[in-house]
Amino acid sequence: MKTDKLQDAIGMVDDDLIVRAAKQPKKINRWARWIAPVAAVLAVAIALGVFLGQGSPLVVSAYAVAEAQYPQSAPYPVEPTDWGDKSADDLFSRQYKAWREEQKLRREQATVENALDPFFAATMAEFLQGDVGENRVYSPLNLYMALAMLAETADGESREQILALLGADSIDALRQQVNAVWRANYQNDGATTSILANSLWMNQDADYNAETVERLAETYYASSFRGEMGSAEYSRALRDWLNAQTGGLLADAVDGVELSPETVLALASTIYYRAKWEDEFWEDETETGVFYAESGEIECDFMHQELFYNPYYWGDRFTAVSKWLSDGGQMWLILPDEGVELQTLLADQEVWQFVTANGEWANRQEVRVNLAMPKFDVSGRQDLCEGLKRLGVTDCFDASVADFSPLMDDAEGIFVSAIDHAARVTVDEEGVTAAAFTEIALAGGAAAPSDEVDFTLDRPFLFVITGINGTPLFAGTVCEP
Amino acid sequence: MDDSNIIALYWQRDEAAIAETKAKYGRYCFAIAQNILVSRADAEECEADTYLEAWNKIPPAKPWALSAFLGKITRALAIDRWRRTRAQKRGGGEAELSLEELAECVPDRSSVEDAIGAAELARVISAFLRELPEEECSLFLRRYWYFDSVDALCRRYGMGASKVKMRLLRTREKLRKHLEQEEIIL
Repeated sequence: MKTDKLQDAIGMVDDDLIVRAAKQPKKINRWARWIAPVAAVLAVAIALGVFLGQGSPLVVSAYAVAEAQYPQSAPYPVEPTDWGDKSADDLFSRQYKAWREEQKLRREQATVENALDPFFAATMAEFLQGDVGENRVYSPLNLYMALAMLAETADGESREQILALLGADSIDALRQQVNAVWRANYQNDGATTSILANSLWMNQDADYNAETVERLAETYYASSFRGEMGSAEYSRALRDWLNAQTGGLLADAVDGVELSPETVLALASTIYYRAKWEDEFWEDETETGVFYAESGEIECDFMHQELFYNPYYWGDRFTAVSKWLSDGGQMWLILPDEGVELQTLLADQEVWQFVTANGEWANRQEVRVNLAMPKFDVSGRQDLCEGLKRLGVTDCFDASVADFSPLMDDAEGIFVSAIDHAARVTVDEEGVTAAAFTEIALAGGAAAPSDEVDFTLDRPFLFVITGINGTPLFAGTVCEP
Repeated sequence: MDDSNIIALYWQRDEAAIAETKAKYGRYCFAIAQNILVSRADAEECEADTYLEAWNKIPPAKPWALSAFLGKITRALAIDRWRRTRAQKRGGGEAELSLEELAECVPDRSSVEDAIGAAELARVISAFLRELPEEECSLFLRRYWYFDSVDALCRRYGMGASKVKMRLLRTREKLRKHLEQEEIIL
């Protein structure tokens, strides 16, 4: 029996370890350790607003609502406060077992969607490029979901261009892909919240193709609303929905969202993601340090942690480590080599190959990593239309050629007028104490690291948060934490 | 008496070695055996068998740490005894509970011909444990080497049961990942 063998091998570990474990532990000051979620991430790629030309009719009325039903997750085990309480202890054990079973199943089901890699790589390269010194945040998964819904409403070349970008051969292949991606990345167990939500905001005066609307509701778990475009109430309803789906974290960006009278249909897609680190940072190891931004030196709080047996990766122009999250996802931290501008790195295909490789990378070594990472809260908002045109999706933005016939019978003149994408990522923990950090001095290129490296994110860097199967949920640049 | 003096007694084939061993390490060995076997009588027998086996092994053995040397003997004897009776006596005992937990560390892959030997596996695990923070390493060994109950660990480390369990769980996860990375086949 394999576990017997493991039990035997543990029995034969080195004597000094056994002797050390026999000693009474030192009295440890058990100050409060920060156990609240450390990564709260959120994005809203909203409103693929499909607009009619001027003068579409408007009638005021109430809006019909159909709310999507989401699957239930086994709850993350709750740590009992009274550890002498046997029933609480038993409950913990039962919950843990159920939760672990579900995670195992999820891991098994979460097959890697390699077909999506080119989409993720191309869009991250496109949408993270910004002005020097500017933080950028973008959610690849969010845009993927929004574009997939848009593809359902389009036909002909308009649809083909979207499918080509999403790496799907056909609309059926896309539906299967969406379903797998959705199941792998939806989680709501109390520890990890990863909710993908979609909704349709319909014009009460328009007649939609029922089949398309039902398809969106079923395949994309989209809630549907119908109301008076341009009315303050309907716009407020959309804002309320966005805030509810994103936990209020994007309130500033949501404030500016309006449904104009010309809107035929708005598709809203959100991701709300919140996960604990698998190993939390200890708050008394956080210290103030200097971040060397383009604009000058910035003082900020650095969290510190030693990562044991941690993979350490490198490319021609960067080094990288990842930190595990409670849902089996990871946060990838990618630091340009000394002297390499972040913008240069973003234009380098190798970094995107790395990000989509999900750790399958030749230049890799297991080492002890002394991680120093600034707390940060970065947000960004951008219109994605121009970037998507550069990526080959052009027809749906052009009223003269756009084909939205699956949406309604009289679809002439309908085109996409805006793709508003807002995202925010905060990585945080509380407390201040002292610890030293050292500048990494590793030459770029093929040099293998020694057994221990200092990984200090004290200059502009790139981060990517991936889900259980490596899907990039969020990517961003931190130029000023 | 110093360990070196006790070991010298064994080498001189002086039976006082056993009395000295019992005086210094009797409780230690008994505690390990009892964690595994639950039954007091079985644990006492195991303790007595430990002295006999030590007598047979030293010489030629010249242990660096007598406590670990004896503890390993006790642990192996007690586990052996427990395994022989576990089919009839399901339920109870830290050995069974900890074994269930250890099942999580077993890497998924399997093969008959390439399986690693126990000694080599012990080296891999030692190297892994050495890289852990001291407390995490000791907590792991207290549970899976000494078979301390979770309650005992709570008292020893001043932590709540859930925290103990979560930390053990994380270490087991790390061990599993490490064994997978090392491409270990059990």
